[in-house]
Amino acid sequence: MTEFLAAAIRIATPLMFAALGGILSERAGVFAVGLEGMMLAGAFAAVVGTWWSGDAGAGVLLATVAGAAIGLMVATVAVRFRADNMVTGLTANILALGLTSYLLRVLAGGGQPVAIHLTPLAAWPIPGLADLPVLGPLLFVQPPLTYLVVLGCLMLALFLRHTQAGLTLRASGENPEAVFAAGGNPLRVRMLAVIACGAIAGLGGAVLSLQQVGTFTDGMTGGRGYLALASLIVGRWDPWAAAAACLVFGMAEAFELRLQSFGVPVSSYIVHMAPYLLALAVLAGLGRSSKLPAAIGQPLQSD
Amino acid sequence: MAPLLKMRGMVRTFGALRANDGIDLDVQPGQILGLLGENGSGKSTLMKVLFGMLPPDAGTIIFRGRELSRHHPREAMAAGIAMIHQHFMLIEAMTVVENVMLGWQQAGRVIRTAAIAAQVREASRRFGLHLDPAALVATLPLGRRQRVEILKAILRDAELLILDEPTSNLAPTEIADLLTILRRLRAEGKGIIFITHKLPEVLEICDEVVVLRDGRVSGRAPVAGASRARLAEMMVGRDLARAHKPVPRTPGGVRLSVSDLTGPGFGSLSLDVRGGEILGVAGVDGNGQIELTDTLAGMRRAQAGRIVLDGRDITHAPVAARVQAGLAYIPADRASTALVRGMSVAENLMLRDSGSSPYARGPFLTPVPAATKAQKLMTEYDIRAAGPSAVVMRLSGGNQQKIVVARELDRAPAVLVAHQAAWGLDPGATRFVLDQVIALRDAGAAVVYVSSELEEVLEISDRIAVMAGGQFAGEMPTAEADLKQIGLWMAGRPE
Amino acid sequence: MMAPVSSLPITAFKGRAFRLQLREGLAGRILLAVLLSILCAAALVALSGHNPVEAFGAMAVGAVGSPHQIGAALNRTTPYLLAGSGVALCFRAGIINIGAEGQIAVGGIGATAAALAFPLDAPFAVAASLLSAAAAGAVWAGFATAIHLGRRVHEVLTTLLLNFVALLLVQQVLAGPLGQFGAGFLQSPELPRAAWLWRMPSFGAHSGFLIAVVAAASLSFVLWRTRFGFALRVAGSSRPAAAYAGFSLPRLTWSVMLLAGALAGLAGGIEVLGVHRRLIEGFSLGFGFKAVTVALLGALEPLAIVPASLFVGLLEAGSLSMQRQVGVPSALVVVIEGLTMLFVLAATVRRA
Repeated sequence: MTEFLAAAIRIATPLMFAALGGILSERAGVFAVGLEGMMLAGAFAAVVGTWWSGDAGAGVLLATVAGAAIGLMVATVAVRFRADNMVTGLTANILALGLTSYLLRVLAGGGQPVAIHLTPLAAWPIPGLADLPVLGPLLFVQPPLTYLVVLGCLMLALFLRHTQAGLTLRASGENPEAVFAAGGNPLRVRMLAVIACGAIAGLGGAVLSLQQVGTFTDGMTGGRGYLALASLIVGRWDPWAAAAACLVFGMAEAFELRLQSFGVPVSSYIVHMAPYLLALAVLAGLGRSSKLPAAIGQPLQSD
Repeated sequence: MAPLLKMRGMVRTFGALRANDGIDLDVQPGQILGLLGENGSGKSTLMKVLFGMLPPDAGTIIFRGRELSRHHPREAMAAGIAMIHQHFMLIEAMTVVENVMLGWQQAGRVIRTAAIAAQVREASRRFGLHLDPAALVATLPLGRRQRVEILKAILRDAELLILDEPTSNLAPTEIADLLTILRRLRAEGKGIIFITHKLPEVLEICDEVVVLRDGRVSGRAPVAGASRARLAEMMVGRDLARAHKPVPRTPGGVRLSVSDLTGPGFGSLSLDVRGGEILGVAGVDGNGQIELTDTLAGMRRAQAGRIVLDGRDITHAPVAARVQAGLAYIPADRASTALVRGMSVAENLMLRDSGSSPYARGPFLTPVPAATKAQKLMTEYDIRAAGPSAVVMRLSGGNQQKIVVARELDRAPAVLVAHQAAWGLDPGATRFVLDQVIALRDAGAAVVYVSSELEEVLEISDRIAVMAGGQFAGEMPTAEADLKQIGLWMAGRPE
Repeated sequence: MMAPVSSLPITAFKGRAFRLQLREGLAGRILLAVLLSILCAAALVALSGHNPVEAFGAMAVGAVGSPHQIGAALNRTTPYLLAGSGVALCFRAGIINIGAEGQIAVGGIGATAAALAFPLDAPFAVAASLLSAAAAGAVWAGFATAIHLGRRVHEVLTTLLLNFVALLLVQQVLAGPLGQFGAGFLQSPELPRAAWLWRMPSFGAHSGFLIAVVAAASLSFVLWRTRFGFALRVAGSSRPAAAYAGFSLPRLTWSVMLLAGALAGLAGGIEVLGVHRRLIEGFSLGFGFKAVTVALLGALEPLAIVPASLFVGLLEAGSLSMQRQVGVPSALVVVIEGLTMLFVLAATVRRA
């Protein structure tokens, strides 16, 4: 059972990072459809960065930068130029896909992708807490980025509720005109939020490539960015609820892996559909929420 | 005493339009200055310039002895100017205290919610605002929401408050409360600029009045000696003679009959309108008017009751069927409901009739007959545009409304429901719209004319009803209109 | 509370409308966007140590160098054109349908199933398969629409998530009823000859391209010369205005989504019948996004989407030779497509 939960946490971690970033973006008023591309860019940069420099820390940092770069692209086109949020996000995803595949091959100097194999990041057991029965090996013997995401949830929740910047960010997603009248700059707030979203989602990509797999393959995020988007909507744009939703998706996939290992005669393809169908079912079940930021997706007035 | 605010030679243009054309303005501490003018006279622009939301093309602003230039709202607020907008700049999903803290340095980087909440309660008590810091703004009625804006100004130690059309969303009792609060602020030495187009308010609360017309100051006077007629003349520039009062007629049979109509936001309502009769519906905006008109037109679903037009029950008929049955609708939202601003004049003229000739034959559109018809309508209704394919967004408000009127009235409807039909129009366009509605009445149609401008309703209607709290508070023939009674009806249920 | 347009110079644009249209000089801006993205791509090529002129030259030769290559380019263009036109109509109505990929995939399933299950004579075999493909695509789009309208979930999410399900469904049926045992990889048995699309001699372009062009022209006619098209354009500009005009928004949504789904499904069927002659896994990968790309490049006008999709088709057809001959990875094409979309989005939004 602990095996199962540990696997679920492991699978959910990249989703959680992306969801946290997405919450920043959406609560500031920009749909976070570009999470997939931000994650992918981060996954690529993490692996390539670690391979180049030999230092995983540098890889993680590079992942943040790469994600933020995608975020900057989305911010410029969707916020500054006021293009449709959704389509801009999709475009960013395509662009990230193309760029990462292209650069991966360029690094090898030709048509074939360079083969990078890294050892996935090892777990950092927290002394003392790791020895607790049951909870110990489950919660406190995780790789470092997993601890970071829990910290991230806490920080985001505090930021949104208890800081002036968080207040302004939420207000930009509800009524940007009011932010302007209060002396703020909703354009700047939205742009920074989307860039930050990119950086954090990039970290999620780093988790995927560095912490779990150890390499980068074309399009390896495989729709996780969209699942993260579904999670944050299901979680009503609240960090802890979104993290819980991510965990549920993680459990769905972990369950699917267990089924396969038990040789249960369910087609692996049907089982692979589970997270997407689950996301659809939950979204359909919950319907539209009144917590949706009121001004999300609406272009800023030019005045 | 040195003035609190000195504005000299303010100029601001928008393309060819000189919204502010060399305006001088002074406000003293402890004074309420009325800024009076019709829509389009330049009042809002001037205040936006003052508050830093727009840069002026020329002019100087000296506030508390220091010059304000190239400033944004942030600097204006830091200097001590607060603006209370007509459409409140509040976050509905947040609490009162959160709205107060937004953008306020004093609340801290890590916001001190509890401390600010205490300040809110204190100021609320001192000025009689009755605000609960933990209340969600979405749950507050409009009058209370305005007080949150005033509270923000008070807590930020504003010395000058600008109120932009503050009474447009309030019932008479709420207006009285507001004026009391303003008197208290004046007593504390604050300066107040009170922007309005309503003469009675100016006479009641202001110490001095500046009248704007076409971007210039057309008159300045202390309120103490001013007469209403004189002020009106300064505002409009001509004798405010009522252009032809509609000739009373004997109405025909009942054409629109509404019984016990109920929907979200209003109910239950009953009314009968005869052919050749205009029923005016007065009342402060936000009391269920748009819910009623939209439901009559078929854009919102009725929960209970009946609507009968010329004997046909259209209670649950879709919009298209109601148009066929002879129901015309001029909605209040000109920008995105009545018109599609990105489309051409011709396309807007056929917006509601795209299934019938001459605009279409079967499922196919017929562009040539459509253009001919559009040209004809443009001539008939004096719509000034480059041609039928001109984009509506480029036209003036008056011409845009003429398109709506042309479209709805050309159908020779049996019943017209009009909501804020003359809103935001210059006097010429307003006259045009009112004349068209009267002509329609004379042709035998039944008209329901809903407006928040009492003067307009009184001018045009044969009978007047007052809406308050989603219901008809009362009804009387216009000829016997008793303004005091109407005012009481408009007040509705007190808070 | 409704605030009518006042003396404010600009009003917030409420209501969901896809704000890409109606600017003067639109074609010029789009061309500029394409040019810019090619320049950026050239820079990327140079950075990787290759000669951009050489690379693009190889791409051009690869695209139009021989009749056979031109035919291949036309074949690539066809699904983008078909699906892109349908997507463009949805966008015009303010509905962001990005489910083309899934709809194409199930279209392929539909065509394969019909061809294998009901061996008919040509031309009935082709007609039946294509019809079945279109129907399958429409049904798939219908699922997304039902959830969107019934439970008020954003259509981007419903169409998108269903894409993943569709791709897995293809794999599932290939591992099951439609699969070819012992093939080593997931594919269906080769379809009967009667179901194959006619191919132009020496060019190798199949008749699907003509179908696609006719479809695009018809859609343009529908958009501008029918009441339905008018209703779509009104709905895309302003939802309240559409309701006021008497159009039923749910009915419009269903109509345009089913239409787009049918077109995408048809594209999938044509891919299967015209190119592969069997159902193979992953045949529809990336097509959905390409549909959006060409829709944007064509400014949501089906007739303009013809050259737009030709552009993308030629790019892709040439990219493989470019990779083979010059060593520049073919993924560059995806980068060009992404950059083009980005620049088009930035350059063509109406400044309200």
